[in-house]
Amino acid sequence: MDKLVQFGRSLLQPLLAVIIGLAAGAIAIVIVGGSVMDTYAEMWKGAFGSFYFFTNTLSRATPIILIGLGVALAFRAGFFNMGSEGQMVLGALSAAVTAIYLPGPGWFKLVAAIIAGIISGGIWSAFAGWLDARFRMNLLITTLLLNYIATLFAGYIVSYPLKDRTGSAAMAQTVMLDQSVWLPKLFKGMSLHGGFIIAVVGAILLFLFMRYTVKGYEIRMLGGNPLFASYGGVQRGKMMLISMFVSGGFAGLAGSVEVLGTQYRYLDGALTSPGYAWSGIMATLLAGSHPLGTAVAAILLAALQTGGMGMERNTDVPLEVSSIIQAVLILFVSAKFTYSFIKRRKARS
Amino acid sequence: MDFLLDVSLYASTLRMVTPILLAALGGAICARVGLFNVGLEGLVLIGAFSGIVGNHFTGNVFAAVLFAVLCSLLFSVLFGFMSIHLKANVIVVGIALNFLALGLTTFSLRAIFDVKGAYYNKDMIGLPKWDIPLLKDIPWLGEVLSGHSPLVYLSIILVIVLQLFLFKTVTGFRLLAAGENPTAAKSLGIKVTRIQYGAVLLCGALCGLAGAQLSLGNVTMFTEGMTSGRGFIALVATMLGQSNPIGVAASSLLFGFMDALSIRLQGFALPTHFTMMLPYIVTILAMLFFKDKGYMQEARKSNESSR
Repeated sequence: MDKLVQFGRSLLQPLLAVIIGLAAGAIAIVIVGGSVMDTYAEMWKGAFGSFYFFTNTLSRATPIILIGLGVALAFRAGFFNMGSEGQMVLGALSAAVTAIYLPGPGWFKLVAAIIAGIISGGIWSAFAGWLDARFRMNLLITTLLLNYIATLFAGYIVSYPLKDRTGSAAMAQTVMLDQSVWLPKLFKGMSLHGGFIIAVVGAILLFLFMRYTVKGYEIRMLGGNPLFASYGGVQRGKMMLISMFVSGGFAGLAGSVEVLGTQYRYLDGALTSPGYAWSGIMATLLAGSHPLGTAVAAILLAALQTGGMGMERNTDVPLEVSSIIQAVLILFVSAKFTYSFIKRRKARS
Repeated sequence: MDFLLDVSLYASTLRMVTPILLAALGGAICARVGLFNVGLEGLVLIGAFSGIVGNHFTGNVFAAVLFAVLCSLLFSVLFGFMSIHLKANVIVVGIALNFLALGLTTFSLRAIFDVKGAYYNKDMIGLPKWDIPLLKDIPWLGEVLSGHSPLVYLSIILVIVLQLFLFKTVTGFRLLAAGENPTAAKSLGIKVTRIQYGAVLLCGALCGLAGAQLSLGNVTMFTEGMTSGRGFIALVATMLGQSNPIGVAASSLLFGFMDALSIRLQGFALPTHFTMMLPYIVTILAMLFFKDKGYMQEARKSNESSR
């Protein structure tokens, strides 16, 4: 019973934030002169209205889940990894390059591309961790700055050396991947692809890892109480490099499944302009770094985004209403920290 | 090299540096009271947008600047309320604020001007360019320093004023004390919360000015997400300058120079991708020389932030 109450209480806060977010969205809708009920109905239809729209939402959620998991791991270890965008872009680029140039059968190339994506995302992230461990550079800042460098670098690669010059399109992109390397679609004619399965499995694995393994416990301890962790023999520098590598690896994986499952090529800006990285961070914040919760929150955010698109198609209300809802949501979820803070203070007195 | 490093490069450095410098000064004040403000980017964006809105509706540039400051102030109150009053994690609040600013400005762009992407109106008048008498007649120096918007000069004055304020006045010492050791400050009867709010408000006003310079001084238009990471660069400048106004000014100048240089280099055969990378690479290299200072650690500890 106690557990049930606790569970309900942990749900109450995000629920309250969702309500406040929707209220803020309603205000914005009224300001532009739309009908709140109609607009929200269109939003719902755009996200879950039919099986097609529903799978659309899930496929948009796929990279958000993976990035969210990576950020959640770093958060749990006590680090702010703001560099998911760069890690994702580099992962996507290496996956595309591997899939194009590696010889061998399709399934082999697919696996190799995914692994290449994970490794390059992980290395980029661990580099920031190394800068922190070695030179005491603030992780928050370095990961942010490395984003710009990674996206500009990837942009250069696909605008000059690896640019697709076969088509008439002047887009900065690599050549199309061979069909044998594509991640299979889950349903015929729908956009949902095998990456979603990878993301869900990843969420479950991370949940089990954090909860039941020694390393997972060490990571949680490092985030919860660094002094106690070092007293208990956890090597902060080493753990930081490992958790940053895994965190970036998830972001790299997100980039690779987008390339292998949706775009079938690296297209400059296709990963950065939808703001997957920031949505992933938001999903983590929303779920309080819980892996399974992050997956659910990612689907919720993706639904807000696809719903916003549906709303824009069918009403005069601009798409940005959904980004306002998302931001207000996060702002009020951050008050969760408050809630636990008050509890802690009460316990002390 | 002469054609690369000519007079207009330094003049444009000064123009580029102003938004970064103003925001970084705001960040420095916030850092001094123990609140690490990641929301600079959002605050500047709000300032930039409301500057254009103010200009559109009043037709008066100075009223527009005032409006920009007011709107950014409003947002910094939100930041202050969440982080001081509700004790939410400052970094999370800062990130959320950046989102909110991006969403709200894009939304309002559609709602107010009914355009997507960018708003530009050829009838709109930007900030005036002031020629400084006497100074403008000095060769080289005159060309570099004269003919800027008033906000450029204001930012230079503010550096000196803030330096004197922080290290020579009683209120300044109280502000430092509030950040250094809140408990001790409180025991001396210093109203820590009030000082923190004051710092956050000051930061908001400075970011509003920064935004106004961005949208009304450098260009006379607004584009979605036009801050494009300048707020984060300002954050780095704050840390690099170790939250000393003079130090912040020096590090901002470095980034402004790199920014101007990267635009200049685009005229050459170099791919733009690499020239655009320059400010970020230099920032990371510059951070090598930044070593942790005590008060930043205090700030970090009290907020359970980045590490």
